[in-house]
Amino acid sequence: MRRSLLAATAAAAVLAAGAAQADEIRIGVLYPIAGTGAVYGEPAMHGHNMAVDELNAAGGILGKKIVSFARDTKLKPAAASAAAKELITKDGVNVLVGGLSSAVGLAISEVARQEGVVYVATIPKTIKLTTEKRHDHVFRTASHTDFEGDAMGQIVAKLGLKKICDIQLDYAYGHDLAAGIEKGLKRHAPDAEKVLDLRVKLGATDYNAFISQIMGAGCDGVTSGLWGSHFVNFAQQGSPFGLFNQIKYISGGEIASHEIAGKMKGDYPDNVWSNTYELWYHHHDPSHVAFQEALAERSGTKETAMWPVLAYIGVKFIAAAAEKAGSMDADALAGALKGMSISTPVGPRTIDPETHQADTGQFWGPMVKKEGVDYRVMDPVTFIPAVIEE
Amino acid sequence: MDSLIQFVQQDLGNPGLAALLSNPSFAFIQLMNSFSQAMNLFIIAAGLSLIFGVLRVINFAHGAFYMFGAYIVYSVAQEWTGNFWLGVAAAGLGLAVMAVVIERGLFQYIYDKEHLMQLLLTFAVVLILSDVAKIIWGTDQYSVSYPASMKGAVDLGVTFYPTYRLFLIVVGPAIAIGLWLFTERTRFGRLTRAATQDREMLSALGVNVPIIYTGVFILGSVLAGIGGGLAAPFNSPTPGMDATIIVDCFVIVIVGGLGSIWGSFIGAIIYGLVFNYGSVIVPNWQDVFPFLILLAVLLVRPWGLFGKPEGGNA
Repeated sequence: MRRSLLAATAAAAVLAAGAAQADEIRIGVLYPIAGTGAVYGEPAMHGHNMAVDELNAAGGILGKKIVSFARDTKLKPAAASAAAKELITKDGVNVLVGGLSSAVGLAISEVARQEGVVYVATIPKTIKLTTEKRHDHVFRTASHTDFEGDAMGQIVAKLGLKKICDIQLDYAYGHDLAAGIEKGLKRHAPDAEKVLDLRVKLGATDYNAFISQIMGAGCDGVTSGLWGSHFVNFAQQGSPFGLFNQIKYISGGEIASHEIAGKMKGDYPDNVWSNTYELWYHHHDPSHVAFQEALAERSGTKETAMWPVLAYIGVKFIAAAAEKAGSMDADALAGALKGMSISTPVGPRTIDPETHQADTGQFWGPMVKKEGVDYRVMDPVTFIPAVIEE
Repeated sequence: MDSLIQFVQQDLGNPGLAALLSNPSFAFIQLMNSFSQAMNLFIIAAGLSLIFGVLRVINFAHGAFYMFGAYIVYSVAQEWTGNFWLGVAAAGLGLAVMAVVIERGLFQYIYDKEHLMQLLLTFAVVLILSDVAKIIWGTDQYSVSYPASMKGAVDLGVTFYPTYRLFLIVVGPAIAIGLWLFTERTRFGRLTRAATQDREMLSALGVNVPIIYTGVFILGSVLAGIGGGLAAPFNSPTPGMDATIIVDCFVIVIVGGLGSIWGSFIGAIIYGLVFNYGSVIVPNWQDVFPFLILLAVLLVRPWGLFGKPEGGNA
């Protein structure tokens, strides 16, 4: 009796879902929501929900309400790909958005290719996503490893560094960033010599063996893409050795974002030049002021994180493309995304119709002490646009 | 020597090994790195091994205890008092309280159950604790400052070496000797050894065995908490740090022999040496090495270097 009642309820729920589907837009959202990756996934979800709420308040997409179906990617490609499949087959989503870590982005993109669903990659940076692994339905609103590496090459040139040690995480992002830096150095600092290549496993906690190699190699600059807690541990272990007095540390991986600087406070080392997509205290575009205030209210802190803006921009691109295409059909949506321009809280963005890559530049600069606050800030902030000049 | 270095550098194409051979102070620093990493791991692994030795429970939640130790140091040292040592003491104390609750509330009911049941229960505790940590501390990655007196480096003649790392190199053996004296020279220690041999007989002699079990569980858990607390300045307290450490600890206690304090000590040193020299000489194989030692030990001496074969009078 109880079982049949349960079955009937389930059936009713499925029917209701089916009926609802016709007049709502379903977005499949893929971020690491629990576990290690939640430190990025949680703020990303704030940005995502903020964009969805704004759009729904203004009447949704094509007059239909937007409903998000969020799944945990657990920072693992296999989990992400299973979640992406479920979102498509079970929840019947019209489009996929998100992805954190390059390996996860590639996995979601593969599902999108097989299932013929549009995927907007908001965070993964491996260049392969929009080069050799590109397909009709994948678009990227994040930056990528060639832009990042090129900017790092410019900084190496500006600081006049001659001997470079490179330390990267041993997975898609680290490998591609190393290649991007190599090209960036050739373009901007051709007389800089790479003297050491180090690869650290993803999730590594002990860096002493690598720190002593860097210090022994006699380089004056270190290029790196150690992100998040990788950088925190590397810095905490390197500082007592005096590493950051000996070298200039030029890093991708957005370690200039306030979530790192605000947490490390006085432990944040000297001589770090790095990047970020957004800074709560820097208004590059006038619309950033209102965006940041709304985000602050939503996240419950004035010093907001960097990740929300990426998720926010992803949703806004989907909405703009759907309105332009007049439908949520995958091919129509993909067609509209090609060449699509929107304005965002960090300036205008356009998706290249050929490469499916948005021209997402980043803020770069040295992390310095500032009077009156106990954390470091980027000063001066330089916006390096997503342009590679051969 | 010079021709050897040239051979390694050019013919073998191994700059790491060449650097080790040509630069004695680099080789020495890697030795110190091996020891300091090993001693931190030892403190944690010793707790795991101790609990297994007496309670015969493989506690998967040991890594979560370590994570709690690190988080408590963050809250107490970084947020509230600014005193690192107070933070480490609080981590030990906090873990003692957690240990009593978990042992009395859960683990005491599974000592006679099969290993699978025990694994499932301790794994459930892992999942619960990681969610509790997320509720209390959120998902941020925190940074804990080194204690003020140990921020810098000490001149060892050959090279400078971080003071805090040297402190770990000293504190590890001190804890090992303390544990050894405790189990060999105190009445409680003798009773714990007796409990591993035959707890029914011990109970028949009028000894309160459950108290011994609780005591050992507290001691082992406090070691995890202190180990996590001491690691906090160089291992950012962050969700998921429990999963990384438990794998390292298992490698160490299995290599050293489950239940043996000195086994964990030697196991940790082997781990440290292999990791630190391995990452220089064969960087592409750094992940594989710990498991290669594990494999070698399991093939040759499955009960570990200092362990005793099962089936004696366990």
